[in-house]
Amino acid sequence: MATITLKNINKSFDNIHLVINKFDLEINDGEFMVLVGPSGCGKSTLLRMIAGLEIPTTGEIWISDTLVNPVPPKDRNIAMVFQNYALYPHMSVFDNLAFGLKLRKVPKSEIVKRVHKAADILEIKDLLDRKPKQLSGGQSQRVALGRAIVRDPKVFLFDEPLSNLDAKLRVHMRAEIKKLHRQLGTTMIYVTHDQVEAMTIGDRIVILNDGVIQQVGTPLEVYQNPANRFVASFIGSPPMNFLEGKIENGSLLAEKVSINLSEAKNIHKLEGENVIFGIRPENIHLTEDGLELPVVINEPLGNETFLHLQAGQQILIARIPALESIQLGDRVRVSFDLSKACFFSSKTEDRLFFT
Amino acid sequence: MFAYPFLWMISATLKPEIEIGEIGLWSSNFSLRSYKDVISKIPIGRALLNSLFVSSSVTFFVIIFGSIVGYALSRLRFFGRDFIFGVILFTMVIPFQITLIPMYILMVKFGWVDTYLSLIVPGMISTFGILLFRQFFRDIPQALVDAAKIDGCNDFQILFRIIWPLSKPVIITVGILSFMGSWNDVLWPLIVIRVQKLMTMPQLVTIFKVGGQAEGQLGAQLAAATLLAIPIILIYAFFQRYFIESMATSGLKG
Ligand SMILES: Nc1ncnc2c1ncn2[C@@H]1O[C@H](COP(=O)(O)OP(=O)(O)O)[C@@H](O)[C@H]1O
Ligand SMILES: [Mg+2]
Repeated sequence: MATITLKNINKSFDNIHLVINKFDLEINDGEFMVLVGPSGCGKSTLLRMIAGLEIPTTGEIWISDTLVNPVPPKDRNIAMVFQNYALYPHMSVFDNLAFGLKLRKVPKSEIVKRVHKAADILEIKDLLDRKPKQLSGGQSQRVALGRAIVRDPKVFLFDEPLSNLDAKLRVHMRAEIKKLHRQLGTTMIYVTHDQVEAMTIGDRIVILNDGVIQQVGTPLEVYQNPANRFVASFIGSPPMNFLEGKIENGSLLAEKVSINLSEAKNIHKLEGENVIFGIRPENIHLTEDGLELPVVINEPLGNETFLHLQAGQQILIARIPALESIQLGDRVRVSFDLSKACFFSSKTEDRLFFT
Repeated sequence: MFAYPFLWMISATLKPEIEIGEIGLWSSNFSLRSYKDVISKIPIGRALLNSLFVSSSVTFFVIIFGSIVGYALSRLRFFGRDFIFGVILFTMVIPFQITLIPMYILMVKFGWVDTYLSLIVPGMISTFGILLFRQFFRDIPQALVDAAKIDGCNDFQILFRIIWPLSKPVIITVGILSFMGSWNDVLWPLIVIRVQKLMTMPQLVTIFKVGGQAEGQLGAQLAAATLLAIPIILIYAFFQRYFIESMATSGLKG
């Protein structure tokens, strides 16, 4: 059982550019924390610092009540699962699982017991004699998970563990990892660039961009109440629609289109300002008497349909029930559920009226 | 075709002296007389053991030290690493003739002349070996090294328990090259060894040929040369098979 506290972490590889910038975070005991962000934003670097594989340039890392900055990886009581599995190619599956225990001088009978228990949990008992080369991707990932759990660590670190699997297997393994978390109750930190994975697997999510935390919260919090434009566009698929323009007389004047926003909360406070108006696809509805827009792309998914609408120079995506029979080039009337609309500052792209 | 000179040499060593000039391979008078001559005139058996001992030791240390330095240069981060690598590269371009005399003076100062140490110690570090190891180690996925660190390995355990088993092709390549290099070296032993019982095989054979003991007998000279070549051919033949095998089986998964 362990908490993790990161205090004002900065990391630079070249003493010029900060890869991780003033990172502060507290992870609760037994929590499943997901770190999500685009490729290259510093997720792996952060995880590797928690593991002890990289040293923070400044700042403190605490695991429970130990300052671990000077502690080598092997003494941090953590286990890590890598994207490429990182199984030792020259050892059997059994030896891959047992290696860490052997180095720690665990008695042989105990090793056998623990390896078999882990193999039971992950259903890899039949694979123990194989070499990693003889395993499929899904099997390799199970073995990598097994190598992590035999050591019974206080913290699990996952670095994009499912990225190399095909879509179907990924969904399956996602559920398995979630189940493993419930079973073990151990603190887990999970890195991914896939926002859907982050939303479905995490107790809380940290959204990272360019080494800077954008927002921390539960999946629903960050979806419904994004702190800035980056979070709003990164979380959700298709992403939130954005229209930039000036507020005049309660309407948004964007390029070649004007939208009446007089019903929106706090709109009078924005009078005369340049803002970014954000609305999620599911909050655009077909109506009898709304704004009339032409359909440029029609994507029926079966259970629902994505309509791409031309709004002036920009495209708005609406998510509507599948039953509507709409043709390409039709003009449709839409209204916006303004209670769900977001406004962002044009300058900073921060959310306005964010609480 | 390319085997002909070699076959001719073997056949010549078996022929009586007067027939050696003939181009044909076969003679009805084959005998081991030339070999007996060689063995009776010089301590070639002892020289064989000397050579085996010296070349094996050199090879052993080249692999150990080369892989340790190669590991440091490829996997550890420390101040001046790239500079040190540059210096090591630079020493490769210095012709050995330049270091020969200073090295000899060093051997004299250490009192190592006419000892095995002078044959082994100067050959223990091979820049070429370091280079090959470094290059090969760089291609081993970092995640494997990271996983080993988390599992509890120190740097030596990472090198010998994780990296070595994955590096058989380069270990064997460096091994063959340094063994052959050490085995075939004549000049250096001629400089530092003067007592016959410490002489290496090529040194002894060279002295035998040019030093007059062979008394102009071509058969005996060729027999000595054949004896010199046989061990290296055996070693090469054995490891080459293994080398190709390990190349084929060590396919690392990224
Ligand atoms: N060992 C390293 N040396 C220099 N730069 C690095 C190193 N590791 C990562 N970086 C840089 O740090 C940034 C973040 O990398 P990383 O943490 O791997 O991102 P992510 O995992 O989010 O894709 C990248 O710009 C990368 O080039
Ligand atoms: Mg990464």
